[in-house]
Amino acid sequence: MTVLLWILGILALPVVAFGLYLGFVFVKTFIKHDPDAPDENAGAEAAAKLGLLPAGRLDLDRPGAADPAAEAVLQAVRRGDWEAGARFLAEAGRDWEERGRRVSILGHEAAKEDAWLLAWRAARPGDADAALVNAESMIYLAWEIRGSMQAKNTTREQFDGFHRVLAQAREACAEAQALGGDDPNPYVVEMPLAMGLGYSHKDFNDLWDQAVERAPHHLGAHQSALQYWCAKWRGSHELALSFAREAAAKGAPGQLLTLVLLEAHFEFEFAHKDLDEDEYYKRPELMKAVDAALLDLAAAAAEAGDPKARRLLPMRHMLAYMLYWQDRYEAAMEQFKLIDGHIGTAPWTYLAGKPRFAERYTAIRDFTAVRVLEAAEAHTATA
Amino acid sequence: MSSTLRAVRALILLAGFQLLSLVLLGVLAAIDWAAVYAPSSVTTKVWLVSVVLAVPVVRGMFMLRLPDIEEPPGVPLTEEAEPRLWAMVRELAAAAGTRAPDTIILTAEVNASVMERPRLGGLLPGRRSLHLGLPLLTGLSEAQFRSVLAHEYGHYIGGDTRLGPIVARGRLQIRRTIAHFHEKADKKVAQERAEQEKKSARRVAKGKKAKEVDTTGAGATYRAMAKIYTWYGTFFLRASQSTARAEEFAADRSAARLAGRDATASALREIPVLSSAYDFYLESYATLGLDARTMPPHGAFFGGFGDLLTARELQLADMRAELPVQQLSPYDSHPPIGERVRAVEALPDDGRADDGRGSALGLFTDPRALAAALEPAVLAEELLGFRRAEDWPDVLRSGMTARLGELDTPLHRALAVYTKSAATLPALLQVIDEGHLWQLARRLPLSEEASAAQGRAFREFVRPSLEGILRTWVISELSKQGLLDWEFSWTQAATVVLPGGDPEAAGEALDAAVTAALADVPDTAPLRALLPPTPAETGTGTDIESV
Repeated sequence: MTVLLWILGILALPVVAFGLYLGFVFVKTFIKHDPDAPDENAGAEAAAKLGLLPAGRLDLDRPGAADPAAEAVLQAVRRGDWEAGARFLAEAGRDWEERGRRVSILGHEAAKEDAWLLAWRAARPGDADAALVNAESMIYLAWEIRGSMQAKNTTREQFDGFHRVLAQAREACAEAQALGGDDPNPYVVEMPLAMGLGYSHKDFNDLWDQAVERAPHHLGAHQSALQYWCAKWRGSHELALSFAREAAAKGAPGQLLTLVLLEAHFEFEFAHKDLDEDEYYKRPELMKAVDAALLDLAAAAAEAGDPKARRLLPMRHMLAYMLYWQDRYEAAMEQFKLIDGHIGTAPWTYLAGKPRFAERYTAIRDFTAVRVLEAAEAHTATA
Repeated sequence: MSSTLRAVRALILLAGFQLLSLVLLGVLAAIDWAAVYAPSSVTTKVWLVSVVLAVPVVRGMFMLRLPDIEEPPGVPLTEEAEPRLWAMVRELAAAAGTRAPDTIILTAEVNASVMERPRLGGLLPGRRSLHLGLPLLTGLSEAQFRSVLAHEYGHYIGGDTRLGPIVARGRLQIRRTIAHFHEKADKKVAQERAEQEKKSARRVAKGKKAKEVDTTGAGATYRAMAKIYTWYGTFFLRASQSTARAEEFAADRSAARLAGRDATASALREIPVLSSAYDFYLESYATLGLDARTMPPHGAFFGGFGDLLTARELQLADMRAELPVQQLSPYDSHPPIGERVRAVEALPDDGRADDGRGSALGLFTDPRALAAALEPAVLAEELLGFRRAEDWPDVLRSGMTARLGELDTPLHRALAVYTKSAATLPALLQVIDEGHLWQLARRLPLSEEASAAQGRAFREFVRPSLEGILRTWVISELSKQGLLDWEFSWTQAATVVLPGGDPEAAGEALDAAVTAALADVPDTAPLRALLPPTPAETGTGTDIESV
């Protein structure tokens, strides 16, 4: 009997040891005597002091505050009121960029549920607006089916569905283009197809010519085209950069085409994991590009009259990231203050999977906040 | 290490396989003996435990006794009946420097092998039999067949040393033992068999008589011991693997010497092609009528393979040109076939490219009679009682009518669940008309991605398979009404001949009707127009269960 107890006792030792260890870890998290801990808190505190939101309250889906008008329209079309959607798009008029944004909003909705779009198309056959939303929605639908995983984690079924819907989307784009007149958006909408279906450079340039002929400075067209020229899709780093340099050079201040160059540099950095961001973003060309973008942004903001205007936000997000790496903390903080709260856009979404990219964002933002406060203290101390 | 030293090492390891149990028992005994010096309460406990442990070891010793090699089902070929075959087999054995087999059996496998009934665990030579698969001979030329045979003999020569034959035999024996364990312990086989009960007729038809259920593989101790032996066995195979691969190349070289270089290389290319072609033949031709309890005409069950090979010569040539890419297993003594082909093709030209071009079947007195004789020898009784078709088109027609008659697709099951009544095409069309197809589709077996999808994405996920099923369903409906015909062909898949004149236009009309019925805004009218009026539609239209 005693022997049995001995054996049991010996067997019990590792279990007891593990239990003790668990208890220790549990207690440790409560007491938190980490030497690093004060630093972490300091970042969050500094951010709070500057009026920035805690990580838990960040919106990870949108680049900016929700658009109440758009929300109302979506509510209406979900109820079957397709005419609300038709009006919403028609009201954009000949502001091609705004029209593109609205097509995207309606397209996203129609990719999920399209009863209202089918009703719209049945009620108004040959309607250019409905055809455009239809084309856009097919492209979103194709990507929805493919999913956002890498190729190796995507199933045969997903790829088959992706390619089948993309083929249909191409027909839908052709229809929208035939009806679209001088609207560049039917061509801009087709650009993601060029990536997914692998258009030849010649075919893509034909598409591109159609778009810029109608709107030479359409930001969305340039952003889409940049994606096509990137090495990860159908081009190369060199083609992407030269395209972006040209775009940035031809834009007038306020057209925000300098953003295309920033995006090209960012794509380059993102594709080269071994690059040291601390060095890369401080290269003279990058410093110059950011300076030019700041001027462009200032002009656009003056024109818009609202520093938080929706069309400025993508630029602000990108600038916040780059100014941070350039150690220009004051300038970066100016952008952070205007974008904080809604971070569902590049560059943040690239940095890690959802929702983890919020951590990367807050780490960068809070570090900036601490440097800004330090600088302010040093300034008051010397004064 | 010299080849002799390697062979000696292999021999010691081989003995170890037989001695493993004794060593395990010895270890247990040693522990018991040591326990005598411990306090008495400990001693008894150790003894008890060691007895418990010894039981599976002793069982394991008995496990090593393999069942006798069973002769595969087939037709024995006597020297009187097949003098030319026997003469060639003997001549080749003499040239290879090994014994000729004592019996030759014609089997239904795409394989040729020499088997030896081992004595003393493979230490002594035993009775030899040669198994020749009729499908293999159907596809090989005479020279290729000689090459295959010469290669098989090569395994019994076992390299350059005197110990070679013993090691070679031992390795065959161990491989058999491991295969035997796997077969018994592998529960999957049993599960699969249960699932495929319906298809068992086909399984049996592939030349496998039904096996008796063997439950010795179920016990945990058995599996534990099997694991130990399998581990040792694979260890042994691995240790002697370089020898084995070298031997494989040596056997290829000897085959090239005896049968010609080009014949050997082309035979190596041919066998994987034949093997997959034969699987395809069984699935798509020979067993096609089984659902209708119909067999091909006498002698055609195995005889038809030759027709298929002749008709698909061009397709096969493409398959031969590319060598199969194989995953290399560390335990497989066979080097990848691509490597072997390259090694043989690298040999100097022996000018025998034109040797033995005729079919290997030419060695037989009456190949057609043999194909007919093979049927009762290898096929299950049940199949032999089936109706004999008049010709191949008859096989196709009967088989397709039977298959389409008892159509049971996931959509049938989903519909039955959804409507709680018999799954009929009119009922399905009604669900579509009412706009509930996509709710119904939620009851189909779906992939993870498809079932997570919503709205349009979900529809796009499901639509392709729905299209396929609905098309088949309509064809089945037409078949039930006797409105279909089938076109038989050796060169391509059977094609359905739809009613209504031009077959191409009829096919397109069917596709268009199916697409319309499954569109976002569904329209079942074109499909209804294609279908003959059924009682459910001409009657009250609601009483589906009475149909």
